[in-house]
Amino acid sequence: MTNLRRSWVLALAVGAMVAATPGWAQDAPSLKHSVVLDNLENPWDMAFLDDGTMFYTEKCKGLSVRMPSGETKALLGMGGVDGYASRADDLFCEGQAGMMGVAVDPKFSDNRRIYVYSTSKMSTPHTNRLMRLVVSDDFSNVSERTDIVDDVPYKMKASDHPFGGPGAHNGGRVRFNSADGYLYLTTGDTHNGVVPQSPTMMGSKVIRIDTDGTPAAENTPPVGFDKRTYTYGHRNVQGIAFHPATGTPIAAEHGPWHSDEVTVLRNGGNAGWDPRPNMAGRGDCPGNYCGYSPNQMVGENRFARASWMPMTDFITYPNAMPPIWNNNGWSQGTSSAAFLKGEAWGEWDGAMVVGIMGIAFGGTPLGQRIEVLKLSENGSELLDVTTMSLPMEPGRFRSLVAGPDGSLYAAVDEGTIHKITP
Amino acid sequence: MSNPLSLLIVISATLALNVTTPAAGSTENAEGKVDTAAADIAAGEKLYRKKCRACHGPTGKGVSSYPKLLGQSVEYLADRLERYRKGERFGPNTPLMAPNAKKLSDDDIVNLSTFIASFE
Repeated sequence: MTNLRRSWVLALAVGAMVAATPGWAQDAPSLKHSVVLDNLENPWDMAFLDDGTMFYTEKCKGLSVRMPSGETKALLGMGGVDGYASRADDLFCEGQAGMMGVAVDPKFSDNRRIYVYSTSKMSTPHTNRLMRLVVSDDFSNVSERTDIVDDVPYKMKASDHPFGGPGAHNGGRVRFNSADGYLYLTTGDTHNGVVPQSPTMMGSKVIRIDTDGTPAAENTPPVGFDKRTYTYGHRNVQGIAFHPATGTPIAAEHGPWHSDEVTVLRNGGNAGWDPRPNMAGRGDCPGNYCGYSPNQMVGENRFARASWMPMTDFITYPNAMPPIWNNNGWSQGTSSAAFLKGEAWGEWDGAMVVGIMGIAFGGTPLGQRIEVLKLSENGSELLDVTTMSLPMEPGRFRSLVAGPDGSLYAAVDEGTIHKITP
Repeated sequence: MSNPLSLLIVISATLALNVTTPAAGSTENAEGKVDTAAADIAAGEKLYRKKCRACHGPTGKGVSSYPKLLGQSVEYLADRLERYRKGERFGPNTPLMAPNAKKLSDDDIVNLSTFIASFE
């Protein structure tokens, strides 16, 4: 009971932090909108060159590039997909898995390298892999594939859970941090109770490596952990962005039936997600995974859920990294994060934006939107939050990327990449 | 509640649930077919936008782990909706689907199925 009370107090306290004040909402710039690409199939991520060239992934199709002229070129198709310059037959999609994040090397003009995260059946059990590719001079093809990470777990079989099909919870965002030059990859728990706190299974981690896949020398995970680990104990991180002033990584994470979270990451830190059965006061759970329990198939008060299966378990892990935002205790499908940049954004210049896909279940409001978070100067605290007044219909906001022109690019699962300009 | 959009969605969803009282009947006509001739497509579209679009996409193409509806027949769609309404389980997304189907009347199912089957 004590534990329950403490968890409720924490949940309410974090929730209270997001009580928006009129000031931040009134600072909203007037926004315009245009469609960059439409009729795509589950676009998952984008990455830009300075001239506006945009690489983009589609979850079940592959990697393409949109040139500044507007011309698109299909570069790397997945298994069974025709119409691409190359095809990688080991790449496949299933459920939430497929081709996901993409990032451009900071030295692209010299080495023409990009990085793409995708599900692969090259080995069994299948895994998620981070591939390094070289783009041809005319942007017509990619070559020299090197899998710099080949061991992120993949869920092979269906289980008795909501969204319980194969391929669940792969994380998937790939980003460079300009402050330290390292490549970050976010991963997920694959509906496996032991993955999040595992020292060696690379799901539920934020991985920090160089462009060869070698661990960052500065990583400080606990003794016995894989040295690629920057943080661990996550559920399913699909958003990561770096504070513009400090370079501190900040994760946006999809909660279970409660508590989406934004967390300022700490090198070696534990995010406190541990869905194993028979611990923290819990008994058995379906498939040895308590992630949606109790009463995983029906709606229930989100704070009661949070006290039973916390997204961040401070009782078991008192030093866990605290979230600075928990979506008022809701889980609505938080997926991606970016920082706005450019004077045109006015007071929102430097603000963090978080994309929410929307999940209406058991009394949870759908909540498809982009949240704008005002952080303290050093990025360690949340000062205010408001919802972006969208210049277009909302959708399942899968990816948010600040483009080189200062616009915010937003991909929605429904098949569109939008450009939002102040 | 600091999120006005969420609040708006809740309110509009509550006001706009234009479903009639569920009936545990059948959506088939005397010939054993779904009576598409009697379908109110506009009502089906309205209901789809309110209750289905967020998961299945504006044209039924499916998104993420939510299945594709495009290409399914009226009979298949009506049958599934009826069976979801009765409480039958079809897989891991059943808890998300079942509460929506539970509230549908026979007319709603005919209208929805006919509208969805019109996607190209």
